[in-house]
Amino acid sequence: MPISRRHLLKATVASGLLPMMLSLARAADWASIEDRAKGETVYFNAWAGSQPINVYINWVVNEVKSRYGVTLIHVRIADAAEVVRRVRDEVRAGKTDGSTDLVWINGENFRAMKADKLLFGPFAPALPNFKYVDTEGKPTTLNDFAEPTDGLESPWGMAQLTFFGDGAKIAMPPLSMAELVQFAQANPGRVSYPAPPDFHGTTFVKQALIDTIGQRSVLKSVATKELFAHVSPPMFTLLDGLHPHLWREGKQFPQTQAQLKQMLADGELLMALTFNPNEAANLVAGKELPETTIAWQFSAGTIGNTHFVAIPVNAKATDAAQVVANFLLSPEAQARKADLKTWGDPTVLAMAKLSQDELSLFASGAVAGSIKTPVPAIPEPHGSWVPLIEAAWLEHYGT
Amino acid sequence: MARTLRHVNHRLKALGGLLPLGAMWILPLSAGLAAALTSTFDAAVWAALFTHPQIFPALALSLTTGSASMILSTLLAFLIVAGLHRVTALQTWMGGFLAVPHLAFAVGFSFLIMPSGLLARVVGVFGDWAAPPQWITTQDPLGLSLIVALVLKEVPFVTWLTVGLMARRDVSQMLEAQSRIGHSLGHGAASLWLRVFIPQILPRMRWPLLIVWIYGASVVDMAIAIGPTQPPPLAVIIWSDLNSADQAINARGSVGAVFLTLVLAALAVLFAGLTRLLKPTFRSFLVSGPSVEAVPVRSARGLLMAIAAVYLIVIMLLAIMSFGSLWPFPDLWPSQFQVMAWEHLWDAPEPLFNSLTLALGSMITALFLAILWFEEVSARFDRYLLAAAVVALALPSLLIAEGQYLVFLKSGLNGTWWGVYLAHLSPVFAYVFIVLSGPYRAFDPRYRSVSLGLNTNNWRFWTAIKLPIMKPALTAAAAVGIGVSIAQFESTQLIASGRLSTLNLEAVTLSSGGNRQLLAMYSLLLMIIPFCAFLAASRTERRLQ
Amino acid sequence: MTLHLTRVCVGVGAKSIIAPFTLSIGAGEITTLMGPSGSGKSSLLAYIAGDLPHPLTASGKVELNGVDLANIRPELRRVGRLFQDDLLFPHLTVGENLLFGVPRGNASRRRETMLLALQEAALAGFEDRAPHTLSGGQRARVSLMRTLLAEPYCMLLDEPFNKLDSELRETMRTYVFNNLRAKGIPCLLVTHDVADAPRGGAVYLINRAGVLEHA
Repeated sequence: MPISRRHLLKATVASGLLPMMLSLARAADWASIEDRAKGETVYFNAWAGSQPINVYINWVVNEVKSRYGVTLIHVRIADAAEVVRRVRDEVRAGKTDGSTDLVWINGENFRAMKADKLLFGPFAPALPNFKYVDTEGKPTTLNDFAEPTDGLESPWGMAQLTFFGDGAKIAMPPLSMAELVQFAQANPGRVSYPAPPDFHGTTFVKQALIDTIGQRSVLKSVATKELFAHVSPPMFTLLDGLHPHLWREGKQFPQTQAQLKQMLADGELLMALTFNPNEAANLVAGKELPETTIAWQFSAGTIGNTHFVAIPVNAKATDAAQVVANFLLSPEAQARKADLKTWGDPTVLAMAKLSQDELSLFASGAVAGSIKTPVPAIPEPHGSWVPLIEAAWLEHYGT
Repeated sequence: MARTLRHVNHRLKALGGLLPLGAMWILPLSAGLAAALTSTFDAAVWAALFTHPQIFPALALSLTTGSASMILSTLLAFLIVAGLHRVTALQTWMGGFLAVPHLAFAVGFSFLIMPSGLLARVVGVFGDWAAPPQWITTQDPLGLSLIVALVLKEVPFVTWLTVGLMARRDVSQMLEAQSRIGHSLGHGAASLWLRVFIPQILPRMRWPLLIVWIYGASVVDMAIAIGPTQPPPLAVIIWSDLNSADQAINARGSVGAVFLTLVLAALAVLFAGLTRLLKPTFRSFLVSGPSVEAVPVRSARGLLMAIAAVYLIVIMLLAIMSFGSLWPFPDLWPSQFQVMAWEHLWDAPEPLFNSLTLALGSMITALFLAILWFEEVSARFDRYLLAAAVVALALPSLLIAEGQYLVFLKSGLNGTWWGVYLAHLSPVFAYVFIVLSGPYRAFDPRYRSVSLGLNTNNWRFWTAIKLPIMKPALTAAAAVGIGVSIAQFESTQLIASGRLSTLNLEAVTLSSGGNRQLLAMYSLLLMIIPFCAFLAASRTERRLQ
Repeated sequence: MTLHLTRVCVGVGAKSIIAPFTLSIGAGEITTLMGPSGSGKSSLLAYIAGDLPHPLTASGKVELNGVDLANIRPELRRVGRLFQDDLLFPHLTVGENLLFGVPRGNASRRRETMLLALQEAALAGFEDRAPHTLSGGQRARVSLMRTLLAEPYCMLLDEPFNKLDSELRETMRTYVFNNLRAKGIPCLLVTHDVADAPRGGAVYLINRAGVLEHA
């Protein structure tokens, strides 16, 4: 299916005329979508574990109400997987007015929903603000864990594996996996990571795999047990060398990233990890971490991905949901989101595609705990690698 | 003719006891179970379960933590009641402790004992420590800190049960008289407890103790907060599987839940058989003759003081944590304070209201259904309903809620208050019924026949004679029911589907990012309703004594 | 075996219920104490046994076999008691109830003692029966036997025949008194029925002022 669409697009682009006609048609379509969206209520299921994010979503609630007459309700959830299960149950029961209209999602959860045909769309490329998205410079906006989005989810923000800790206690933050092992050796019992299958922990292990694998391109293809057995030994050698210096000698691990973060705040660990590059700054602003906190990434790059919003196939308010998704892509909303003093979540938009006025919205400036030097974002391996990594980790270190 | 009519009338009455129960509890529960257990007949899923690398060590961990905590807490509870059973304030205290939600207690207690926790900091003052010691307290591989936390949570519950059984006017009078006789036969207080009181009370506590055991073996939130991680107890693995978005892993989770329940059931039957085998040994102990040891009152008092101290410290810690945001080692006091968490209180009225109405609604219904059953149905059938209640509590609430969700979808109940109320009713009724069954069936039937002879009708008998005597047990069961409803998370989350929120829902979702300040504040809020309920319950009991 | 009560009085708070009195009961003697309900008879017995419940107070010397019982725990006083209710332990069989107070020792010898007591009570073969399956009279006999098997030095009877019908009452009275006299145990019987008082034993009356009068 994607292939034929690509051919179609190539043909229409070549003709030159069609794009203009298409955008005209799309604009007319969009006007009617916005019209129908007025007065609708969108139940937006989004993770609520961070105050800055909740505050931002509150702002969006007010904006879409005043601009588009859409009532956005933030349904607080602890884990997107619960939405996947709920929508699956609803679709199975034949419920056409689902409980969820918009969901904050990515990775495995998206793959599950896409595979079970639980998503509405494709709708993302038709959003007027989609034209600003940096699809070339940020390929993960079209490929979620190497799974093509097919327009079934609209990009919202960028995520990248980031480490953080107290700068007063860390003279030289480790800038690679090898340096991390040395750091752990120098500070026994003060480093740890969440145990897989927590996805932060899995990502850390993935990072180890990426950094020890011979050929990175292998990870783009679908994983098999033989392939995994072939490429994983260096990773396990690294982890075997790392674990004895970890917290509790690598025999116990925190269950979640939240626990890891708390252990850093308590002083039990020297560093923690996150997917939100600005999380450390958020925590400093929220007075959960001291002002001396620093955040850093590996100089050769760390795993990065995009997080999205998607619309379940049985959503009731699909028009209003699309309006909200579109608003989330607007330069104004993206700029406010990227503001390091609030959420600080990196934008999915391409600066080159914005006008001067729009660019000026994106204020810059470092705050305590923000990243000083950006590093390349390494794309995620294909989703099929995850269960193999998790199972192998459990076998090696689970008991 | 008259006899047939009476027979029919009798059957109708029994049906009257069964119908509402069937509609409101059995039906939603079985529907939930059936829907959720559809994958249990797939052999491939069972194979997937048994190839999980952690499954057997995790099972062993669940069983040891559950068993150790149940046995210890029962022994300690008996010690406390034996040493202090004249102290009426005991009940109020226990009620207060019971009101602290399990997760809140685990969070506070782990902050007390963890390597970077308060105890370490106090000790660190003398050792001038700059970094937390490498103690192995929380998340220890044997699960000892989990056992300690469970014992601290369960001792008040078992004590509450015991005192509830013994505080009834008729029971306490009989025990007093037996005490006098026992003394005159040369038996000291300890011997009376071991040979006379416990043998009479313990059989009435079998089912609640079974629940305590099952709870210890299947607890998830406390295990995550304070228990070992590699491997964690089996219940944590099951819960994590059930929460996954992957259908195959979900199936493995539900099969895992069935497996754990079957293992627990098998062990329970085994244990029952073992006690039957050991009966002659027990009985010969009972009559081996008088012994004059006194009850170690000082130890009992010390134990109670220690438990009370831990609870007070935990509550105090939660209060400080709710205001303090940054509290690194080795500070004895938070370095940063902010009111931020408490500002959430303004958001709280609606969830608080929902929590309250759901708790009251499900508790009253559960009491009504239980009393209806006890009054209209013969005690012979109790064990079937008790077994059903135990199963309802042994299986993870997430599993049952998933099944109920599927059923409610078809009837449009999900997303409504009524749907959540029905979902809450499953565990609330189970607890209320189990806690009430001992005291209710122990009601002396001689009261009934005496009053029949005096020509009082059913209703008068119930309000004038039975209700006052049953009040302590009823209020105890009510308080427990309220606590259970307040603590519901998965069932609320799933059935409410984002249309309504409760206090616990807010607490868990907002603190899923690890913000301890928020979690501490919500923990304190979550304590208020059950605390008031237990306070009211003990007031009633005190007035009767 | 003798029981001496010297200047014993019972009160609640400042109010006196039984004025100080002195009396002695010799071996095999049965002294009866009578008075209206609420006159403190049961409290007096409780004081002697060491079980006096809280708001009540009592003072005075209680000597049993020359030993002052003042600071001795109730279970060590060797004071046997019988009440209106047989108070057989429901969770034990008849035989087990009897064994309950038998002093520790060789298991088979204790069992023999128990079986002998059953025979004496004309209840041979009842050792495995549950208490509630026995008639009122049978239970009363078991209760007495149980108390006697504990080898008490004195007996306190608190209206023990109240719940028995008049025919049974007569039989039980004779049975109890014969046993006590045979074993030489001093006994203080409290009752409101004058027929209960054994012939030849001292009888006292508690008058409205709480003073014991010899009847």
